[in-house]
Amino acid sequence: MATTTEHLIEQGESDSKLPWYLKDLYRYLKGFALLTIVYMGLRLYQGAFAVSTGLDSTTPAFEQYWMRLFYIELWVIAAFASGMWGYLWFTRDRNLDNLAPKEEIRRYFTLTMWISIYTFAVYWAGSYFAEQDNSWHQVAIRDTPFTANHIIEFYFNFPLYVILGGCAWLYARTRLPLYAKGISLPLTLAVVGPFMILVSVGFNEWGHTFWFREEFFAAPIHWGFVIGVWFALGVGGILLQGVTRLIELLDQLEDNI
Amino acid sequence: MKSRINKYLLALGLMLSLLTLNSQTVMAHGEKALEPFIRMRTIQWYDVQWSKQKFNVNEEISVTGKFHVAEDWPISVPKPEASFLNISTPGPVLIRTERYLNGKPFMNSVALQPGGDYDFKVVLKGRLPGHYHIHPFFNLKDAGQVMGPGIWLDIEGDAADFTNDVKIINGETINMETYGLSNGIFWHVFWGLLATAWLLWWVRRPLFIARYRMLQAGLDDELITHKDRLIAKALMVGVPLLVYASYVMTTRQYPNTIPLQASMDQILPLPAEVNAGVVNVETLKAEYSVPKRALSLTVKINNNSEKPVHIVEFSTANVGFYNKALPLPDSGNSEPVLAVEGLSLSTIEAIKPGEEKTMTITAEDAFWETEKLDGLTRDADSRVGGLLFLADDTGKRYISSISAAIIPKFN
Amino acid sequence: MSVDLSSRSFRPYTGEKARITRAYDYLILVLALFLFIGSFHLHFALTVGDWDFWVDWKDRQWWPLITPLMGITFPAAVQAVMWEKFRLPLGATLCIACLSIGTWIARIFAYHYWNYFPINMVLPSTMLPSALVLDAILMLSNSLTVTAIFGGSLFALLFYPANWPIFGMFHVPIEYGNGQMTVADLLGFEYIRTGMPEYLRIIERGTLRTYGQYATPLSAFCSALLCTLMYTLWWYIGKWFATVRYLTKI
Repeated sequence: MATTTEHLIEQGESDSKLPWYLKDLYRYLKGFALLTIVYMGLRLYQGAFAVSTGLDSTTPAFEQYWMRLFYIELWVIAAFASGMWGYLWFTRDRNLDNLAPKEEIRRYFTLTMWISIYTFAVYWAGSYFAEQDNSWHQVAIRDTPFTANHIIEFYFNFPLYVILGGCAWLYARTRLPLYAKGISLPLTLAVVGPFMILVSVGFNEWGHTFWFREEFFAAPIHWGFVIGVWFALGVGGILLQGVTRLIELLDQLEDNI
Repeated sequence: MKSRINKYLLALGLMLSLLTLNSQTVMAHGEKALEPFIRMRTIQWYDVQWSKQKFNVNEEISVTGKFHVAEDWPISVPKPEASFLNISTPGPVLIRTERYLNGKPFMNSVALQPGGDYDFKVVLKGRLPGHYHIHPFFNLKDAGQVMGPGIWLDIEGDAADFTNDVKIINGETINMETYGLSNGIFWHVFWGLLATAWLLWWVRRPLFIARYRMLQAGLDDELITHKDRLIAKALMVGVPLLVYASYVMTTRQYPNTIPLQASMDQILPLPAEVNAGVVNVETLKAEYSVPKRALSLTVKINNNSEKPVHIVEFSTANVGFYNKALPLPDSGNSEPVLAVEGLSLSTIEAIKPGEEKTMTITAEDAFWETEKLDGLTRDADSRVGGLLFLADDTGKRYISSISAAIIPKFN
Repeated sequence: MSVDLSSRSFRPYTGEKARITRAYDYLILVLALFLFIGSFHLHFALTVGDWDFWVDWKDRQWWPLITPLMGITFPAAVQAVMWEKFRLPLGATLCIACLSIGTWIARIFAYHYWNYFPINMVLPSTMLPSALVLDAILMLSNSLTVTAIFGGSLFALLFYPANWPIFGMFHVPIEYGNGQMTVADLLGFEYIRTGMPEYLRIIERGTLRTYGQYATPLSAFCSALLCTLMYTLWWYIGKWFATVRYLTKI
């Protein structure tokens, strides 16, 4: 039997009414709720202060309301990344060769939940706050790389989904035999590709500094982000890896009613 | 540990949400970020005036003013072949109802001529109550936003009272705020429901693992039923028919539609008001003292008018340096940044008719730094530009657009 | 990687195993919903977004050409996996529906509530009719070639007529400022945008564009050709990304 800290904790929580394969469902739902609160909180913060303090980066109010938020974000991101990645690594399963099929099935479900949390963060970063950037730059004269929407989109949302993608990758690598034996190409693509979007921020801001000042969203300056997000299609490969392995594992289980 | 981190994040989210209870008035826009040589040597604004600063929702106000397009246009800024006179607002808190350049209405973009003089008028109508800082400005293609002087406006009343009715060409009056909205929502909901039905039709049965197993077992035929095929055929035929029918209905309902308009307005400059040839100014040398925050211009002035003239003001990037030896002229309600005693001259005597005089004028103030204009010593295109205002005793003005390479003095 | 199954020995899962696979279905559906809203919307916004954001960008030469062209990408890639591996003919509809959800949320909460633009000025276009037909053709033909040629073409050709009932009324003329303009143009003029000057709009240019003032059908048929190619390209991109390889090192 495999042993991990996570597993030991869960043995103590066996009074849950959830089926064994959905043991992490509540944590998953709490993750969704937490992210929703954080993102909506940030949006409400923008609604309250962006027009009043976020239009001129040279004012003290901008420093107070926006740059301070930026520094707080950096600390939160650094702490969250080291905390989560550290936790997943140090609680890794060191005895994966003896993993029971049922436990492996459960872990595939948890991996799927991790990826789902990751894609939820991708939603906020890739859809809502991304398009909101176009809207905000119709209101503000872009006078800093740290606009009231960039501070949230580029320096919180982007790193956060990268961290959550990294969590999914690490979870698979440290708790599932196939992902520990080899490095899953689709999972790596789906995590590293969108990570490159964060790197593309450099290209974007450089271009805006030098030759491009209007808010033209379909401009080549933004296509670095586009190529990065294509790699999210790697999730198709993760699904196929999961399905084939789950079929193998299910076939090892006895038929229960 | 994970739950503890969750708690911290939750606290952060709540904290941020609570902060929304506080709110303040609007600050200026970030015009200082643009490189000084663009602000000094492209659109040179002056005489900008607002008809009112306090008004109600639905009430119209106007901003008028003049600008000179600098002759010494920077090499790194594309020529102003497509330019758009705009208003910086925090969103459409007011709407733009009319706009004129040299007295002619213009709705699109315009090509400006370097060296040209223009006057403008923009009519705005209050939409959302609040206290806002507003500038007229030019969007210059590939160069950015060159701001005119800003002002605080107070819009009072109730946002719900705002109306924006416009008469279309067939005489019908439409409400621009809601025109086409319910129709658009109807079609999105219509197609959305059809798409949802199609998705639910498939999602209601076992999906990934079950279908993958069946496919691998060669049971393709069982995965797509006869009914599925029937529905797909109905979609394949029905959707294009529906699209066609709705398209034809729309063309019948709106037979006289036109494409989006994309012309470039052609408006010639006014007769020369700046560099008009009466009083000529040539800049011989320009030095910027970094510690003193002072620009010294050595200029040769040639007065071809019939009266003695004196220097009143040097204006650059909406900062006005006024001759400290003269009373401050009335600048109305526009709010350029005023260095009231910022300008000193090497000689206070007026330049007589027919006289050619070389003199040094010094524009000294902390504004060089606070307005981020001192950055011009670090630009690749480190030339200074601006408008020099001269006047005779009757108040008649002579304006020169001057420019020169800047020589920094670091000590 | 594949699982050894033959039709003779095949037994569907029942009982707990059926419940496990169903629970997995739901998890994947939630995952896919946010994945496609997030990723496809970003791709779409940054390639053809401006045409979709603003009512005064929806011209008859570029809008019907490039919107379907960029819109058929993710549907093709997702169909490649959903149909090939699961015989689920919903890839296109799923992607486009997700895109619609993402755009509507942004238009309402970003453009309207945060930045005060009226929603009719930022109405999104729809590609749902195109997507439904694309899914249906793939299902009925079970052929990449047939779907690319006929499905891809219809995806493009249906776009403009499907959206005209939404946007046609914004093209009625108004006499304004000594000239004529559409309601859409006037919305763009009146509702001030600091970062979107009029000259930035990419709307029809050229001299022979109209052939008797009919630019749209030409754009639509050009888009149909390009969509056929784009569909095939993205089908293979989707397949490539859906690799199941494990590497020994990265």
